[in-house]
Order: sequence, then structure tokens, then C-alpha cells
Amino acid sequence: MVEVRLEGVTKRFGRVTAVNNVNLTFGDGEFTALLGPSGSGKSTILYLVAGIYKPSKGRIYFGDRDVTDLMPNERNIGLVFQNYALYPHMTVYDNIAFPLKLRKTPPEVIRDKVLEVAKFLHIHELLDRYPAQLSGGQQQRVALARALVKEPEVLLLDEPLSNLDALLRIKIRSELKRIQKELGVTAIYVTHDQSEALAMADKVVVINRGVIQQEAPPDTIYNEPRNVFVASFIGSPPANIFPATMDYTEEPCINLPGGTRHCVEDEYAGVLWRMKPSKVIVGFRPEHAEIVENPVDGRPVIVGEVYTVEPLGRENIVTVASEDIHLKVITPPEVRPEAGELVYVAVEKGKLMLFDPQTEVNLRYIAREWSQGG
Amino acid sequence: MARRGRQALFFLLPMLILVVAFYILPLILTAWISFTPLTNWRVRDQLDDFVGLENYVNLYYLARYDPDFHKVLQTTLVFVTFTLFINVVGGLVLAILTYLIDERISLAYRLLWLLPRMTPLAVFGLLWYYFFYGGPQGTLNSFLLKLGVIDEPVRWGTDPAMLPYSAWAIIVFVNGLVGVSYGMIIFYSAFKNIPRELIIAARVDGARTWEVIRHILVPMVRWHIVFVTVWQLLSLITSYTHLFVLVQWSVVDKWYGTTLALYVFNTAFFDVKNQGFAAAAAVILVIIGSILGLVTLRIMRFSQMISPPRGDI
Ligand SMILES: Nc1ncnc2c1ncn2[C@@H]1O[C@H](COP(=O)(O)OP(=O)(O)OP(=O)(O)O)[C@@H](O)[C@H]1O
Ligand SMILES: [Mg+2]
Repeated sequence: MVEVRLEGVTKRFGRVTAVNNVNLTFGDGEFTALLGPSGSGKSTILYLVAGIYKPSKGRIYFGDRDVTDLMPNERNIGLVFQNYALYPHMTVYDNIAFPLKLRKTPPEVIRDKVLEVAKFLHIHELLDRYPAQLSGGQQQRVALARALVKEPEVLLLDEPLSNLDALLRIKIRSELKRIQKELGVTAIYVTHDQSEALAMADKVVVINRGVIQQEAPPDTIYNEPRNVFVASFIGSPPANIFPATMDYTEEPCINLPGGTRHCVEDEYAGVLWRMKPSKVIVGFRPEHAEIVENPVDGRPVIVGEVYTVEPLGRENIVTVASEDIHLKVITPPEVRPEAGELVYVAVEKGKLMLFDPQTEVNLRYIAREWSQGG
Repeated sequence: MARRGRQALFFLLPMLILVVAFYILPLILTAWISFTPLTNWRVRDQLDDFVGLENYVNLYYLARYDPDFHKVLQTTLVFVTFTLFINVVGGLVLAILTYLIDERISLAYRLLWLLPRMTPLAVFGLLWYYFFYGGPQGTLNSFLLKLGVIDEPVRWGTDPAMLPYSAWAIIVFVNGLVGVSYGMIIFYSAFKNIPRELIIAARVDGARTWEVIRHILVPMVRWHIVFVTVWQLLSLITSYTHLFVLVQWSVVDKWYGTTLALYVFNTAFFDVKNQGFAAAAAVILVIIGSILGLVTLRIMRFSQMISPPRGDI
């Protein structure tokens, strides 16, 4: 179909900068998730691609075509809204047929296309109903049908599942992915639900306050967050993040809370020697640590007191207090330490993340950029 | 069911009392008076003096043979039809314009259109009195004289050569100016309640401004259109205050400026003070109004718009 490219795009609303100097490429036929907290500028990016907003600065391209100054109807896009925005005074049939009618498509062609897309989405029995007579999931499909009937090159979805219940959401999520792959359409999917983004997307773009934080495949976003924001936004519960001082007497070592020390792996050593920060920000995922009774050699270990234990059935979330830092650890269900008990939190080898305290960027990325830059 | 009936009665009671006190009772009283020869408010002698259908028969003969009364009927028809059209369609057009333009300009624009409605009747009447005044000092005349469009002052609303159309044009224009803001306000607020996403969705689907108006804005306020139409129809049939001022100050011809409602008022309180006869005309007016109101609702398929409630609340 077509690749969508944003080059230096900024969008201001009065004094608010909703999107700030964004450079992004949405791959041809790829499913990209735009992930970020509320108010981060996700919908604004989507509306910029749709042509509903004009960028204050920068250009937008569909393939080689500069679409920056084109109206939405000149862009061949399909858009699904969070609240579906079905026309309440039209039947399902008329809702789906509306874009085609506006294009002055012959009535027989409209009929065929509407029936085809309705069958495809299993809503062909609802065509005579009004939107008010449909369930949330059915409305969602009608909205999708209305977007797809135009055979768009780019499909834009603004939190299309957020009004559905959890079970339906998981069901439709895989269906949506299948449809997208089947049609080969370039899809941009806005969500603030990280599990949705990680499960569906070929590529995830994390955004905060209008600035792109990271743009990567889901497993990279999860395993190698580019900065503190991404690490603390992704995961449930998100990564444990805390500051720590450094000690460079023999090799770079981190003074962990509770009084232990951990001397870093080689991949970080080079950067640390060069930068020599007196402090770093340390992070690790709750699922990459375990509670142990005796410190094990080589692994980073933090000493603390059990604060709470939340049993979730399949696993427990244990919160450990060390100095004034609370760390969460996911443990197997049988590990149930008593509150107040003294324990060791051991982090899996290589799973400790270190961030530059100034820029909050993952040191691993800084190291990589250096080795690339020479 | 009985319980729900009682509940409904409880909530409707205050309104019912008002309706009975200020509508049903006067209506009954009017109907009563229409069967008496009441003139000059000689209530004590004449209120129990029945003359049967005499007033109605007189009305019939008047309608049949009196040329002045014919003018009144024609004027009523023309006035109600055209003013209603201006009030509904004009109100819709104004609302669409104000909805589409920038909010600050829109506010000023709407206030401007509300001015005629906020102006006291006497001031408003005086304004048009000066405007359409037949002498050379009349605003319109002096303007056109200066421009050289006319050589002599024109008696706009009363010159027999231009009657009845000039008088009709003036009364429709003046009343339309007052009435159009009502529709504008109702439709504008209805437009404001349409979710923004619907308009955006239509834009993305490829609708130009005109198609957004036709396929989204207007259909979504059809309820309000029915309401404004019926409301304005009934109020045009029964209102007379602006016309009264225009006729009284001779801005327009007496008969081509008088509708049935004004005729009833003049007959009862002003010219001949024949209340019995006026009451008969008023009863006929109420009947016409009710029928027209129902017919309008029927034509606009009101019943189809009331969708059954989704729950049994
Ligand atoms: N039309 C507008 N006028 C003024 N400010 C706006 C407008 N649209 C968005 N904003 C502002 O721009 C910022 C980004 O908004 P946006 O709608 O893109 O957020 P979002 O990431 O979609 O959030 P959510 O998850 O809550 O939908 C917010 O601060 C918002 O207040
Ligand atoms: Mg949004």
C-alpha cells in the first residue's frame, strides 16, 4: 500500500505544543501502535496523518506524495474513532455506504461493496438497524466497516477497543490484526493500553508530552527501553527505578540500596569509565528478579524488608522496602514471605538497566551510539 | 399501571393546574361568550343572554360577503405562510452560518440578530414607522430620494397602487426579523450538541461543507425543526402585537395589515367592542390552530421520531 512519513512535524494549539518535532515512519503494510499516557499527543498525531489538523511545522508524506496540504478526503484514509462516531440517524447500511455515496459511486457497486465488507466483518445481519440498537462490539465493527469500505491505503484507529469489555477486547484484538494483515493496509493504532500495543503491533512508538521516546519492535521496547520514561511506562507492574551512587576505585560499581555493591558487566563498563557519572539511575523489571534467602554470587542483590505480598493466583507481587525505596518482585505463588521478614532481591544476570542521570537515556544506547559514531 | 398513572398525575399536576387556570377556563369562558350578544363589556345584562349561533352566523356572512374581511383572511394566509417560512428556513440558515464561522464573530452575529427580539415593542414599532414613513422624511424614502432611485416619496405600506403586496411584504419582513432569531437560537444550540467526531468523521468520509450540512447537521436537528415549525405556526396564528402597532400607526394598510388574530383583538377591545362576536371568531381561530398544528405534526411524521425507550425506566 503506502508508507507514511512525518518529517519534523510540530503541532501547537495556542500555547500548548501537542506534538513536538516528530520524525516518524510508519512502514508500508505494517501495524504500528502509538502508545503513551493521556494527553501525550497520540490522537493529535493520528489527526495530523488524517488531515484533520494541519501541522504548525513540518511535512507529511504518503510514499512520495506530499499530503501536508491535502484535505482528509484527498488522502484515502480510513479512521475509526474511540467512540465510533456512527451517524445516529442512518442505518448500519447507510453508515457504511456514506463514504461511497459521497464519491458518487454507482448504487449497484455501493451495494456490492457494503455487503462484501459487512460479510467480512460478520455484521451483514445488522444492516437495517440503527446504531442505537447495536452492542458496543457491533458498533465497533460497523465503524471499522465504514473505514474499510473505502479501501483505504492507511487505516487509522484511535483507541478503538477502549469501550469494550476485557474479554471482547482480547477477541477483537486478534481479529483486527488478522484483518489488517489480510488487507495489507498500513495501520496506525493509538492506545494507552500497553498490552494491546505489545500484542498487536509490528512496531511500537512510545510518546510522552508530544515527544517520541522510543520507536522499536515490541520486544525491544520491553527488554531494552530507551529511557527511564519507557521503562517506567511499560510492564505491569512497570520496572523498578531508583537512583544509586557509583564507586570507581577498581572498576565501576554501583552502591545498591541496603548496602550491597554490584560491579557492572562489561557492556556498561566502557561507557561508565568514559562518562564517570557519580550517580546513575538503576532499573529492573519485577519479573526479572527473585526473592532469595542467601545472596548468590555474581548476581546484583538488594537487601530489604518485606513490605506487602499481593497474591494474584498465578503469581505473587512482593513489595520489598530497602532504605526508602520500594521494589516490586514477581514471585511464584508458593513464595510467600511474611511482612517484615528480611530478604534478598536478586536480579537476573544482565537484566539490570542503567540510565544516565542527566538525560535519563539507557547507557546501553549511549554505548551503542558511541561505538557506531567511532 | 394504576400506580404509574398516579405517579404521572403527581408530576403533571402543577402544570395541569396552570393549564386549566390559564387555558382551559378562559377557553370555556370564550366559548360561552361566543353564544352571547356581549358588547361593551355589559357583563351583568348580557352574559346570560343567549343568542344561539347568531355570532357564528354573522361571522359566516362576513366571511362570505364582506370585502374587508376577505382581505383579513387573505392577509392571514399570506402572513402565516411566508413568515413561517422565514422563521424556520431563515433560522436554520442563520444557525448554520453562525455554527460554521469563528466563535467570536458568531457570538456578535447572534446577538445582532437577537436585537429585534430584545427591543421593546413600542421602540421597534417606532423604528419601522420612521423607516417606512410615506413622507419625504421617512428613512427609506429620504435614502432612495438622495440616491435618485425615486423622484417622489412613496407611501410604502398604504399606496393603493402597490397593495396588497407592499403591505404584506412589510408585515412579513418586520415579523420575520423578530421571529427568525428564535429558530436560530434553538438550531444553533442543537448543532452545538452534535458530537464533534461526527463532523470530523463526515469530513474524513469525504463530505464537503454542503454535504455535512445536508447529511449530518440538518437531519440531526429534525426534531428541533418540527418543534420550531409547530411553535412558530401557532404563535403566528395567534400573535398580533407587532401588527397592531404597524396598523395603528398607519405604517401599513388597515385591512391588508390585519390578520384574524388582530381582527379578534380589535373587535373585542378596540374598534366596535363586540365581545360576543370576537369570541366566536376566537373560537374558530383556536379550532384552525389546533387542526393546523396536528396536520403539521402529521406531515413531519412526528410519531416516527419518538423512538421507544431502550429500557423500562
Ligand atoms: N483541539 C485542541 N485544542 C487545544 N488543545 C488541544 C486540542 N487537541 C488536543 N489538545 C491538547 O494537546 C495535547 C495532546 O492531546 P491529544 O488529544 O493528542 O492526547 P492523547 O494522547 O490522544 O490523549 P488521550 O489518551 O487522553 O486521548 C493535550 O494537552 C490536549 O489538551
Ligand atoms: Mg486521544
